[in-house]
Formats: sequence, structure tokens, C-alpha cells
Amino acid sequence: MLRFALRRAASALLTLLGVLALVFGLVTAAPGDAAALAARAGGNRAVAISPEALAAFRHLYGLDRPLTERFLTWVWRAARLDFGRSLLDGQPVALRVARALPATLALNTAALLLATLIGVPLGVMAARRPGGRLDRISGFVCDALFSTPTFVLGLVFLLVFSGWLRVTPLFADTETGLRGFLLPVATLALASLALIARFVRVCVAAALADPAALAGRARGERPSEEIRRALRRSSSAFAAMGAVLVPSVVSGSILVERVFSLPGAGSLLAEAVFARDLPTVLALTWCSAVVVVAASLVADLVAAALDPRTAREDEVTVPGVAA
Amino acid sequence: MTPARAALRRAAIAFALFPLIALLAPLVAREKPWISGRGGETIVSAPVPFDPDAVDLDRRLASPGRRHLLGTDELGRDVLSRALHGTRLSVAAGLLASALALGLGAALGTLAGWAGGRTDRTVLLFLQIVQALPALVLVIAGAAFLKPSFLVAALLIALTGWTDAARLVRAGTQRLKNEAFVDAARATGASNARLLFVHVLPHALPPALATLPYVLGSAVLTEAGLSFLGLGAPPPTASWGRALAEARNLLPGAWWCILPPALALFFLVWTARRLGDAFLGRRGDVQSRLA
Repeated sequence: MLRFALRRAASALLTLLGVLALVFGLVTAAPGDAAALAARAGGNRAVAISPEALAAFRHLYGLDRPLTERFLTWVWRAARLDFGRSLLDGQPVALRVARALPATLALNTAALLLATLIGVPLGVMAARRPGGRLDRISGFVCDALFSTPTFVLGLVFLLVFSGWLRVTPLFADTETGLRGFLLPVATLALASLALIARFVRVCVAAALADPAALAGRARGERPSEEIRRALRRSSSAFAAMGAVLVPSVVSGSILVERVFSLPGAGSLLAEAVFARDLPTVLALTWCSAVVVVAASLVADLVAAALDPRTAREDEVTVPGVAA
Repeated sequence: MTPARAALRRAAIAFALFPLIALLAPLVAREKPWISGRGGETIVSAPVPFDPDAVDLDRRLASPGRRHLLGTDELGRDVLSRALHGTRLSVAAGLLASALALGLGAALGTLAGWAGGRTDRTVLLFLQIVQALPALVLVIAGAAFLKPSFLVAALLIALTGWTDAARLVRAGTQRLKNEAFVDAARATGASNARLLFVHVLPHALPPALATLPYVLGSAVLTEAGLSFLGLGAPPPTASWGRALAEARNLLPGAWWCILPPALALFFLVWTARRLGDAFLGRRGDVQSRLA
């Protein structure tokens, strides 16, 4: 178990480095001189910038060094949460990110919690009678939810609840308080709920069709006990689901924040992208990669703790679920 | 015809409607009449007689009515015409991105499965890296520093969508390369290329092909999200995602600007997923998928 944990941790670290290298390469290899772009974005576009000023700017932000050196320096600093200063307003990037993160974390936690609270019982109930009425209805609804982009769902909610019924505010600013969070949380939760409900349904139905469940029934197990054992048998698969859910929630959160004008990390990313604020984009990508890799590491370790067979296998296989 | 076949046919026809609309949009929704008289007067007008980019500032935000069937947006452009033309972008982005993703995934999957050893581990690591990054974050980070365009968006989406195809093809190649018939072909002196393309790939590829509709669906969703953030194809190209972003600022009014692109997006992805379900229902050898 310890060897498995260490190997998984090492692989997670390698993955994290790979992700950062990929994004760093993609962002810095892009055409257009970041210094020229930032200098132009900082002021009047019509004003010409002298070559000396550009060189000084490049030197200030270390843009004149070789790519690998810049990458390693950046990784070393990022490990100590030093992301440099924003090209936009010169503030430390870590400060800007720290100010945006609480709203995003609150939104995502609430949404995931709500989705689990509704999705798991729904999946279990659907699995008890495969092909029954509840199974068919929930299957149809989940399928429809999979086909709806999160931001479209949010827009339709805004139209109905804020536009027509006028029960929720149009913008989720800090002044609107908790009421502003209702729609964003519901939107994000519905998107994850479909995934959770379908996943639980498939796993529990498989566990109930298992000979072990038949044996239990023959012993005269009560239905509640039967479900409890089925859940227990598929618990390591649930841990694996967590690893799949996190990236899709992060993706959804970016768009949902934008739809509801919620000042979180997703809005900050969109803003930074438009301003071509390289340090902020890299810092936010770093955050999302750390969250996703950590979630998948935790999921694997929990799965291994619940079912020691997983630790013995070389590669933890997750049923093909697209993010 | 078996019920499964009939279901597949229905799903295929429903999905094919969208490429059809995309192809016909420039003909159906245009200001130029179908048949005009010698003096330029209209004899038979197009069913939606408005160009998607035609601005009419006198009729801004007109609600649905006889003249504009689905109303107009804040610049007085016809919503129906823009929704029809927006099909072109979504369908093209979905098709191109999913084809690229499948090609990339098949190539890397074959390479990993056939070569094994260090090559296999390298490809797997790369696969893990791409999966560890939320698709939208990678696409946004890339789109931010490349000039927004249709091609860039499709390429970036393909860069995130190839992992499932690669896994399936890799597993198939691994399984097949030690089969007796491949050994027999090798014993007759077949080259590596012949073994791959004639004996292995025809059996390893179909499971990945069957997932194509799902990849297409998620590619359409990502493209719409990118356009919504303003990082997709630049204006004035009609795009559902950008139409929704513009409509967001008009709330609480102008519901007719939101619903057409929203429903169009939903149905395009829904029919694509239905097609995928029909494929998988017919092909029992593919592990049933959730998303």
C-alpha cells in the first residue's frame, strides 16, 4: 500500500510538471511578443513604444532569457506561491488569485455537495429497477443534461428566474449575497448531478446483478441491507468518479461565473486572457492543474484503501467517462 | 430491419439534419431573392430574406413577428438567419475537431500499442497530462495567445479530445498484435506496415470510430463555450456561442435572442449523442459509456 501510494504520488508530480510544461510551452510559443502586447495593452494603442523601452520591459519580466530557464525559474517560484506581478496592474498575481478563489471554491463546493446529495439517492433508486419508470425518466433527464452546455443552462435559468419571475438577481455580485449564489450553484450542480446519478446507477446495478447480491437475497437480506452492500462493493469506483468529476466542474465553473458575472477565478482567467496577462493565466492554470491532479491522487488512494485489489494492479482503470 | 438498425437509422437521419442545414443556410437565408425580375424586383424571395450580417438600426430588438420570424438582435440583425448561419460554424468545428482528435488518438494509440515499452509509457504519460487539465482551461490558455480563429479553436479542441480514442486503439492494438492470424501474416513475411494497416487497424479502429459522435458533441460544446467567452471565430461570423454572450447583456429582455441558439446547440449535441448511443447499442463489443 505504501509503495503504491509513493508511486502514485511520484506519477502525480510528474503529471503536474508535464501539465505546466504543456501550458507554458503553448502560451509562450504563441506568436506575438508578450512584451509588445502587454506594453500596448497597458496604454494607448496609438502611442509608439521605443525599442529601448521594450527591451527594458522584457528584461524586467525576464522575457529575454532562454525558454527552459524561464520555465524552471517559474516552476521553482510557483512552488513557493510566487507567481510574479500581473502585467495588467503590477499587483502580485498571488494576491489577485487569492482574492478571486474564495468565491469559486464556495460555488464549486456547494454545487458538488448538492449534486451528491441528490444524485446518489437518484442513482440508487434508478438502479433498483433497471428499465423501470424512474430509471427511464432519470435516464432521459440525465441525457438531456449531458447535451446542454452549462452556460446555456445558466442563461435559461437567468431568463426564467431573474427575467420573468424576478426572484433572483441578474448579477451575482458581492452585494447580492447568498441569493445571488442560488442560480450559479443550481446550474453547476445540475451538470454534475447527471454524471453522478448515471455513474451510481451503472455501478449499483452491476453490483446488484452480481452473484454476491443473489447470495445475500437468498440469505433473506432486507432491501436496505442489500443496497448498503451494493454501495460498499462499488465504493472504489465512486472514488474514481471523483477524479473524473473535478475537471468537468472546473471547466463548467469558468463559464458559469461568466454567465452570472460572479467575481471568481474563472472570471479572472477570462479577464487575464483578454489582457494577455501571462503571469495571471499561468498562475490560474497552475491552480486548476494542482486541484485536478490532487483530486485524482486522493481518489486513487481512497479507492486503494477501500479495495486493496486496485493497489496491486499496475494501472488504475477508470471507465471511459469524458470530462 | 431489426429494431437496433431502425434506431440507428433514425438517429443518423436526425443528426444529418444539421450538416444539411449548414449546407443550405446560405441559400435559405439570404437577402438576394431566389428569382428576380428584369428590373430587380423580387418575384420569389428566399424563405428567410435577410443576410445574417445585415444591420437594420431602425428595427433593433424587434420581437418575433411576421417580418422577422424570430425577431432581431440589438443591431437589428435577423435572429433566425443568424441561427441558421451559426449552424455552419458549430457543425464545421465539431466535425473538424473530432476528425482531428480521432486521427491523433488513432496514431498515438497505435504507436503505443504496437511499439510497447518506453514508447508506450511516454504516450501514456502524455495522455495522463492532457487528461489532468480541464479541457476548457487548456483551450482558453491556448486561444488566449493565438489569434482567435476557427482553425485555432478546432485544433485546440482536438488537442484535448484525443485521449479516449487513443486508449481504445491502444488496447485494441495490444490485444491484436499477439493474435494467431497476425503471427501467421508475420510468418509469411508481411512488413510491419502491412501487418498494421491490413491486419490490425481494421479491427482496432471501429471501437474508437463508434465514440466519434460523443467526441463531436463535446467538441461542439467546447467551441460554443469558447465563442461565448469571445475566444472563438472572430465577428462578424454568425456563431451560437457569441449570440448567447450578446444576449446575456440584454437580459431581462429579448428572450428571442437566447432561445434559438440555446435550443439549436442542445439539439445538435443531443442528436450527436443519440447517434453514439445507437452505434454502441449495435456494437456490443464496446464498453458502454456514461458521458
